[in-house]
Amino acid sequence: MMLKLGVFELTDCGGCALNLLFLYERLFDLLEFYEIKEFHMASSFKEHDTLDVALVTGTVSTQRDLNLLHYARNHSKYLIALGTCATHGDVQASVEGKIREKLEKVYGTKANPMRALDSTPIVQHVAVDYALPGCPYDKDEIYQILMNLAKGVEPPTKDYPVCIECKLNEYECVLIKRGIPCLGPITLGGCNAVCIKSKVGCIGCRGPLPKEANPASEFEILKELGYDEEYIRRKFKTFARGELRW
Amino acid sequence: MVSIEIDAFTRVEGNGGAEVIIENGEVKDVKVKIFEGPRFFELLTLGRYYWDVPDLEARICAICYLSHSVASVLGIERAFGVKVSKEIELLRELGLLGELLESNALHLYLLVAPDLFGYPDAIRMASKHGEIVKEGLAIKAFGNYIREIIGGREIHGINIKPGGFGRYPTVEELERMERQSEALLRLARRGVGIFAGQETLGAKPVHYVVVNGYLYGDKLIASDKDTFDYFERIEEEALSYSFAKQSRYKGEIFMVGALPRVLLKSEMLTPTAKHLYEEYKEKLAQGYVSLNNLAQAIELVYALERTKEITRELLDKGINGENVPIEPQEGEGIGYVEAPRGVLIHHYKINEDGNIAYSNIITPTAFNHAIMELSLYEEAKRRYGTSDESAFLQKLEETVRAFDPCISCSVHVVRL
Repeated sequence: MMLKLGVFELTDCGGCALNLLFLYERLFDLLEFYEIKEFHMASSFKEHDTLDVALVTGTVSTQRDLNLLHYARNHSKYLIALGTCATHGDVQASVEGKIREKLEKVYGTKANPMRALDSTPIVQHVAVDYALPGCPYDKDEIYQILMNLAKGVEPPTKDYPVCIECKLNEYECVLIKRGIPCLGPITLGGCNAVCIKSKVGCIGCRGPLPKEANPASEFEILKELGYDEEYIRRKFKTFARGELRW
Repeated sequence: MVSIEIDAFTRVEGNGGAEVIIENGEVKDVKVKIFEGPRFFELLTLGRYYWDVPDLEARICAICYLSHSVASVLGIERAFGVKVSKEIELLRELGLLGELLESNALHLYLLVAPDLFGYPDAIRMASKHGEIVKEGLAIKAFGNYIREIIGGREIHGINIKPGGFGRYPTVEELERMERQSEALLRLARRGVGIFAGQETLGAKPVHYVVVNGYLYGDKLIASDKDTFDYFERIEEEALSYSFAKQSRYKGEIFMVGALPRVLLKSEMLTPTAKHLYEEYKEKLAQGYVSLNNLAQAIELVYALERTKEITRELLDKGINGENVPIEPQEGEGIGYVEAPRGVLIHHYKINEDGNIAYSNIITPTAFNHAIMELSLYEEAKRRYGTSDESAFLQKLEETVRAFDPCISCSVHVVRL
């Protein structure tokens, strides 16, 4: 039996939907199990139907986004919040100020005819069955999750920091050895430490490590390295404004 | 008065639609509505330390993140008066070529080709025309490989930094790029023939605006080739029905993108690309916006040839891998890049601590907003009453698609 899949894009950069196309031939492997009912970036085909799996990307940034999110939730058995916009709000949710003030600064008027909202992650609005962060998320991970679901297996959740993957790759620690601000110790792993591969620090795009993270200690390390508090505060909040555990 | 709504354009990046207004049986007006939410990138970057800004700006768009990184880095370097080496310049160009390959191939083979062959998407088209889809995917995957090596990741890489790179490519990686660009050239040439067959749609823009280099530069040019800064000739206005603003060049509608590039900069094309340009010169000169697709196909050939030239040059010289040291100082700078969809501008003022004090970003889809609307209007006028509604709407969607619009980008494009 083919499973019915829908991809719903709220407000974002398009990367989380695009990343599915970057699976290339493995996308065709997934299509052995899934039938795409809605994926507006890739297809003009659309069928109003109950879905087995809905992938929802982006933040809720307009009333239209909110309506679409409720539609996706009400029409799907299994909903995955895909990407850091959906799970934590990402960069657009870290823009401070109220929506009308922001509209005024940018468009020169407080009027809001298009019904813009302050950006929030979708997990704040509906119950989700699985949350896969990453800006963008790792495409191998979504492939594995969709394959697991097709085979009736509940996908596992990662629970270790970026540092683990950094060590496994034997990269030099940029934080301790080179004094570069790196959020690896307090950020959820799964990206294969891609930033440290480029010899720059982890920017925290997968959001905070859910359990044993120690943001206070990270804060102290960065302060000792000479970074001011405002700089550190902003760095911590860039991708996960709605998350209080930093 | 009645209106026909296109609820949401499909096979485009981001969320937008259109309203065709009919009065007394005639098309009166078309409004392109960009309802993707605003993301306020200029506000996001204000007060941020310059070093972290290119990584944030990359997130404006996934399809052309690297163009945003490079435009951001150029703006920052110009504000500080930094001059980088030829090696760094070539590597940046290489990254932008990878992005052009990834983006043009995605657009042509996965989003446009289904229109040419009569399918709702490339997946459903693949059963009968699998070869074409696979050829497109091969070019796209190669473009992404370059983005991963130069940019640090397929999407939202962090390797492009002010003054140089985090990590420089290895000899093996450059050799692989040289080899693959050679191998894929045959496929790209075939693509030009496929996309040359599309019927012409939309309006003919009065002006074209491009960056003075092929993929990046320090000024803009139009048909007269005089160099200018964007604020000297381009004005933006906000609209009540769209989160994207509209722009005018000296008060008139203009276009940016692949068609303007090949028309205004044909002398910069590589040998085979130039040859193909000559072959289709008369067709391209008709100026209909849908010819943007043919121009994109010619650019795939250009990008593969240019990739080969650059990788050879770098391999011959050897990679030095040295960044230019940066001392933050007060200044103002503009980065001009040809994103796959056209002119992209990042303009910053930076204070003496190295924090962003002013930021203005204008993306290609915002520049093209007005000509997109005019194109839909002209196409709708031409077709209204001559076919059934679904065929009518299909042609309007094809017209919009020719711009390869990137709606996510266009909505946070604002002057403070």
